Amino acid sequence: MEQRIYLFGLNHKTADIEIREKFALNGFNPINDGLIDKDSPVDEALVLSTCNRVEILYVSEKNFDEVEPKVLGGWSGYCRHDPELLRKHTYCYKGLEAVNHLFSVAASLDSMVLGEPQILGQLKDAYRKSVEEKTAGVIINRLLHKSFSAAKRTRTETAVSSSAVSISYAAVELAKKIFGELNDQKAMLIGAGAMAELAALHLINSGLKEIMVANRTPERARELADRFNGQSMCMEKMLDNLHKADIVISSTGSSTTIISAAQVKKILKKRKHQPMFFIDIAVPRDIDPDVNLLDNVYIYDIDDLKEVVEENLASRKEEADRAREIIKEEVIKFSDWLRSLDLSPTIVDLLSRGETMARKELRKSIRSLGPDADEATCRAMEQLAMSLVGKLYHDPIVFLKRRAREEGSSQKFIELARRIFNLDDEPMHQDTHQNRKERK
Amino acid sequence: MLSFRILDFFIALLYFAGALSFLLGLIYSSKKTQDRSVIITATGFGLHSLDLVLKYSLGIGEILTQSQFYISLLAWSFLLIYFFLWWRLKLKFLSITAAPLALLVFTGSLAISPTTLPVPGPLQGLWFGLHIGSLFISMALLAMAFGAGVTYIYLNKKIKTKVRLGNVSKEIPSLQSFDRVNHLAVIIGFPLYTVGVLSGFIWAAFTWKTIFTWDPKEVITVIIWFVFAWLFHRRVSGSWRGKKPAQMIILIFFLTLASFVGINFFTETHHSLRP
Repeated sequence: MEQRIYLFGLNHKTADIEIREKFALNGFNPINDGLIDKDSPVDEALVLSTCNRVEILYVSEKNFDEVEPKVLGGWSGYCRHDPELLRKHTYCYKGLEAVNHLFSVAASLDSMVLGEPQILGQLKDAYRKSVEEKTAGVIINRLLHKSFSAAKRTRTETAVSSSAVSISYAAVELAKKIFGELNDQKAMLIGAGAMAELAALHLINSGLKEIMVANRTPERARELADRFNGQSMCMEKMLDNLHKADIVISSTGSSTTIISAAQVKKILKKRKHQPMFFIDIAVPRDIDPDVNLLDNVYIYDIDDLKEVVEENLASRKEEADRAREIIKEEVIKFSDWLRSLDLSPTIVDLLSRGETMARKELRKSIRSLGPDADEATCRAMEQLAMSLVGKLYHDPIVFLKRRAREEGSSQKFIELARRIFNLDDEPMHQDTHQNRKERK
Repeated sequence: MLSFRILDFFIALLYFAGALSFLLGLIYSSKKTQDRSVIITATGFGLHSLDLVLKYSLGIGEILTQSQFYISLLAWSFLLIYFFLWWRLKLKFLSITAAPLALLVFTGSLAISPTTLPVPGPLQGLWFGLHIGSLFISMALLAMAFGAGVTYIYLNKKIKTKVRLGNVSKEIPSLQSFDRVNHLAVIIGFPLYTVGVLSGFIWAAFTWKTIFTWDPKEVITVIIWFVFAWLFHRRVSGSWRGKKPAQMIILIFFLTLASFVGINFFTETHHSLRP
């Protein structure tokens, strides 16, 4: 009895936000909402619902013609919207295509921002939910674990998630390149725009020591400084305190520059030439671009940062092609495993593994008999070893065959047998025993 | 002595593998390969230490007059300072200069034919040891600061001109960490250099009954000392940081290199290591 993998979904490419909102599946429970039958030994389902995609991974023995109306019907029914509308915006993948799609999603190759890391966490949450709700079985367990490791592989072997693709994060990355860890650094926000606030938040999350806020309206400065546990000041005091700041984020609405190169030069002397990083996200610019000519001073304006982000995005696209190759390899590995879930390959694997072991032991025993051992003894020993293998594996094989006949599906047991007899040569996880200890 | 040849070969091989694997780790942005390369280099360093100790304890008196021993010791001090900086500043990256330099100088020590140096008398031994020890340590500090300086200038230019940081640049630590190496090299290196030069003069006074002989090595050393003193002053007073000291230390390292290689090997003086 063969099990089939289906994947139905819509994402930011196939449906815009109104549609995605209509068909979000938050709180959907595949058992309670009738998608899968609790008593069915084979049906499995996993539901992933985020702001950019809604997907249902479905494993069943039924044909596509049976599955599609059931899944899409259940889905649109839960959302109380027209199934035809849903059908128009969904894609469906079958078999290995579905596996490939799931791996790509996990590796964030299908995301709106290529390589963004959140999707993997969301997928992990979805998987945890499916385990809790007992809708994940043999196939989904394996499939999801493999998708996590495929994602990890793409992340370590390619640079698809490595460089910053948002302006505020690009600024933080540059700051780290200049100062290293930001634990000893202070920053000053001049003006309190939304983007400056975001950059400040990123800096704080990266370990920044302290933040100062200077603003035209002291109340707003106070408010922002309180949020970051920092110090606030009015605009007039800004220049007097500027020498304390290693990182300066400026975003005022001023029509002229508010900090000149000559001023920075003086401040630099006061700081004993410790480096300063100016992030000027105001248009028109707040800081004289000539400060870039000073040693130990770095300045990036909004266009510079945008350029960094665009270049990073372009390089991510190149890396994505390499990542897709990795995904392809992982899909092939998974399909090998899927095929082994059939009964006959498992029996062959079981017997050949036993035979390999027996031959190895046989060789050792014959060697210990010495060179004088006569042919007849050797032959008798070989017979003994081989028949022992046959006898030992006879009962498990009979058991598997009977389950297959009686229950229609022996996959659960085949998978178990493969693990008990270690037929897939799975390496033991390093933390396997650690966990056991912790649990005690 | 065959066993020493085999040991020397293994040390050189480990340094080579360490240098190469770090480079590969950098190009392929693999932290694991980088870590392994440091372990390989450290193993080479351990063997090298053993090699020096054995040679010293087996051939005491004799070995201290062999030029080979001193050059090998210089290679060893490069790595000693590298591991010191690694421990102080957590700067694995300097492997990029430490391992190739150690490899170069160590194989250089194997390649030259052994020469005999004037034997220091028992009383002068102390001054001679101080002379060699402090100069070698400060040279090693200069070498590490040279690597840090070159990388600083490269990365600084990239950030200043707003060029995209590629995968290799991503592996490079921050500008500040390289400036810290420069700072340490100047703050520790200059006093040591001074001690080395002074003890050399004192030793010369004992051995040759004269302090300054207008030997080219001595002349260039005094020039280096003045340049180094200037850098030291600017650094301590806080008026230089970043690019300028990085450029200066590169200059000073080249001068010491020129004085070590050029004068010790190509001129006939009492600093000569020539066969």
